[in-house]
Amino acid sequence: MTTFIDGLSLGSIYALIALGYTMVYGIAKMLNFAHGDVIMVGAYAIFSTLAVTGHPLVGVLVAVVICTVLGVVMEKLAYKPLRGASPLAVLITAIGVSYLLQSIAQLIYGSKSRAITLGNFESIKIGSVSISSATIITLAVGAVIMVTLTLFVKYTKVGRAMIAVSEDRGAAALMGINVNFIITITFAIGCCLAAAAGLFYLLQIPSVTPTLGSMPGIKAFTAAVIGGIGSIPGAMLGGILLGVIEKICLSIPVLAPYTTAIEFSLLIVILLVKPIGLLGKKRREKV
Amino acid sequence: MNLIKNIKANTKPKYFTNYIIVAVMLAVTLTMKMTGNLARSNATLLAQISYSIILAVSLNLVVGFLGELSLGHAGFMCVGAYLGCFVANMLHEFISSPLLVLIISMVVGGVVAAVFGFIIGLPALRLKGDYLAIVTLAFGEIVRTIFKNLKAFGGALGLDSTRYKGNLFVVGFVVVLVTLFIIQNIVRSKHGRAITAIRDNEIAARAMGINVTYYKLFVFVVAAFFAGVAGVIYGHFATPVLYSFFSYNYSIEILVMVVLGGMGNITGSIIAATAITFINFQLQTRLSGDLAALKFLVYALILIVVVIFNNAPALSAVREKFSIRRFLKSKRHPSEVHDDEAAWDRVPTKIRMDEVLSVDVIVDDPYTPDKKDPTTKGGSN
Amino acid sequence: MKKVLALLLVAVLCLGCFAACGGNGNNEDPANKADGENYAANNTEYVIGCTGPLTGDTASYGISVQNGAQIAIEEINANGGLNGIKFKFDMKDDKATAADAQTGYDALYEAGMQVSIGSVTSGSAKAFGEKAAEDNVFFMTPSASAANVIECGDNCFRVCFGDPDQGTIAAEELTAKYKNIGCIYDSSDAYSAGIYDAFKAKMDELKVEFNTQSFDAENKKDFSTQAEALKDCDVVFLPIYYTEAGLIAKAFAAKGSEADIFGSDGLDGVADQIDETVTANIKYITPFDVNSEEGVTAKFVKAYKEKYDGATPDQFAADGYDAIMAIYEAMKAAGVNDVTIAPSELCDKLVAAVTAEDFKLVGATGEMTWDATGACTKVPQIVELN
Repeated sequence: MTTFIDGLSLGSIYALIALGYTMVYGIAKMLNFAHGDVIMVGAYAIFSTLAVTGHPLVGVLVAVVICTVLGVVMEKLAYKPLRGASPLAVLITAIGVSYLLQSIAQLIYGSKSRAITLGNFESIKIGSVSISSATIITLAVGAVIMVTLTLFVKYTKVGRAMIAVSEDRGAAALMGINVNFIITITFAIGCCLAAAAGLFYLLQIPSVTPTLGSMPGIKAFTAAVIGGIGSIPGAMLGGILLGVIEKICLSIPVLAPYTTAIEFSLLIVILLVKPIGLLGKKRREKV
Repeated sequence: MNLIKNIKANTKPKYFTNYIIVAVMLAVTLTMKMTGNLARSNATLLAQISYSIILAVSLNLVVGFLGELSLGHAGFMCVGAYLGCFVANMLHEFISSPLLVLIISMVVGGVVAAVFGFIIGLPALRLKGDYLAIVTLAFGEIVRTIFKNLKAFGGALGLDSTRYKGNLFVVGFVVVLVTLFIIQNIVRSKHGRAITAIRDNEIAARAMGINVTYYKLFVFVVAAFFAGVAGVIYGHFATPVLYSFFSYNYSIEILVMVVLGGMGNITGSIIAATAITFINFQLQTRLSGDLAALKFLVYALILIVVVIFNNAPALSAVREKFSIRRFLKSKRHPSEVHDDEAAWDRVPTKIRMDEVLSVDVIVDDPYTPDKKDPTTKGGSN
Repeated sequence: MKKVLALLLVAVLCLGCFAACGGNGNNEDPANKADGENYAANNTEYVIGCTGPLTGDTASYGISVQNGAQIAIEEINANGGLNGIKFKFDMKDDKATAADAQTGYDALYEAGMQVSIGSVTSGSAKAFGEKAAEDNVFFMTPSASAANVIECGDNCFRVCFGDPDQGTIAAEELTAKYKNIGCIYDSSDAYSAGIYDAFKAKMDELKVEFNTQSFDAENKKDFSTQAEALKDCDVVFLPIYYTEAGLIAKAFAAKGSEADIFGSDGLDGVADQIDETVTANIKYITPFDVNSEEGVTAKFVKAYKEKYDGATPDQFAADGYDAIMAIYEAMKAAGVNDVTIAPSELCDKLVAAVTAEDFKLVGATGEMTWDATGACTKVPQIVELN
């Protein structure tokens, strides 16, 4: 049971990162490989403001602002010039941005992992199960963010414009939607989510290193694909599924060393059965 | 096999250039070695360049010609390196010639990697684009994780391989020539045209009677084979063979070589592989101590700037202005231009009728060798 | 046209190859030297080479060694070097891979490296060691503790404990003091797996049951599962490095566990990684006690803190310091006084000096002696954090 709850909490981190991946993919049609590193930037932003002000909430606000700005800058400088170019060129640029962010972090903070304390989290006992309050915060805030995001996309003007752009960019432009603006907004939201993921990451894993974002990034990408890339509920489902499976594997000693292999095998199996992911939208190929 | 029949001496200048480049590199460096002018760090660099070229060219077959994004090339390399070196370790007891052992282990490593290529080619039949990309990435990570836990292959300590004591770069470059010979012949044969037809429009290719299943598997198997061979060279270059080297980051590095060199452009792959290995080598050996952290920064900046400069639609005027082609005022056949800068569309979701009709032209054009060449008589199928 | 371009590029590449050898700090172009020649002929300082991870996941270990070694070099040079000749330390990044350790080695060798402290991590130390054995370059690794590293050749020595020794010590210590024993190790790491194997062998020999959990490089951040499984143990043995150990200690605290933590020497430095939430008793085997107030250790810690803005040195730094000091002392003992001495010649002298009966070094990690296998003998202490 505890394993399951730990899995949910890890899964909600994956889900938040996967949301960023999936939104950017759905709208800008690119894999933002630097997304994992935005989490790292968020984590360092929290780390630095915490060291200066000593207040976790201020840290979170600063992290959200910095990540959002970073997302917009990244989009304008590195990706916008390549709009209309081959998707692979954009992918490579994203990888370049990822290396860039990592090396800047290493130059500023050094490569040593730094411990961080966001507060003392009591564990709460419910029957025989003890749950850390950090886990509860993660789950609650994660759920709120996901619901808000779904509502935002469904019911606001900008959200609907996003759907329109992801369906057909050309037609959306013809309908008077400012495509560039929508893409920028998407990046901003994605990076904002990454900052939130950075916070939850620190709640669970209280230390920062320049490479902290790469593995969660790749796992979250996997989660996004399992759920069907481009689909918002899919990203949530995929993330949580992956988190729970990872935790279950780790709790069985025989399987533990093979956890990564099992997760990725699962991905392959799911894709073979359902090539568009669990909740992906099927697109008919027309001739 | 039909394929063997189709392999002919390359006479087309475009492909011939590649042999010249590699042969000249080999000749120059070998002369330097003979006259004692080749510093050993450069021999090391050359060995690295040789396996990088093999990796880039073979990945180009998948990404550039078949049009499927693969992020698991390092996984095939990993399989080849581990199994090839495992076999080599056993063979060293029976065979005294290290060169012979190297050759046998390259074949073994290549074949085993090819088997894995076949296995990973199967999902490729059902999946497309980013979905396939993530499956190949997953494959690379799975392979790595498994080797990490196999005690027979040294587990976390890595497999101790025997370093090749002779001039590994010479062997490496000879293998590069063989790789080029096989891959270029595939590309310019009717098989190659079928493969590019699948890239440009799978549905149309299927409609033309091309056996898509066969060709997709074929490409994955061939590319995996050469990745495996490159892995064995790597294993004889550096010991121990350690799982951590073959991470998805390395797959991406190979992909960077292919993309920078140009999709479907073999010369480009060779040059980009050489250049990137060279830059990495220089950054690594020049920047010592505290400056090492700058290495990634410089590499990342070079990457971003080069890609943006090469690809940004807004900069096409600037590119044209500084283009060497224009500078040399050479005339190029339009079909050749088309081949190098082939618009690469991975998931054609909507295809207009005129595009379907034009498929044949696009496919046939770049690879039409001599009109008299009998292989072209049957058309693309 | 393409041909012209290609030929041009080939020409540039070849030029590049030549250029690559120039400007290595020597006036003479080393490209003109064949194998077997002395690249150190133009040295004006003794050059000590090293490769280690300076970027990537394991960079902190490489950087620690570099910092520690730098302190030693500065100390030696401030005291006038060896007979007035100064020392220079040159470290290349190898990202903890064998291939980069090799290229790093070649570059160092051509730049006039005369003696080396090898590589920081075990995997690349093996690659470095084999090359060094071919050229007969003296090699004193600070931290590559895998058993096979010093087996590369007679020229290979180490400053740290060997992995198996620590596993055995831990098994004896824990079975004597605790009943319910747990263990978490990193299955993807040579150091951790090496200690664990020895630990398990000894525990089997002693016929004591224990619970094991593992993690690997891909999952080395979140330890709630492992903590959940082992939270009722009396003690948890952690044959791992301090970064993960700090996270594990926090995970145990979050689970409300009261288990003691017992670690290998990699745990040194864990004090920075934990906070007041961690109440567990943390003990580890180490030759290096950062809180020591006497002798070389205290002097080293003070110098380190002064130079690196108050940062506390970890064991990697101390080992890096000791490796340089061992080389310096051995050179002194061997009576080396030629700055252009060839690496191979220097190596023979150093091997003889280091394995001599009366040679010992009192360094930041205690008193050390070496035998011909290359292993280092020093007294392990068990340090307790409060």
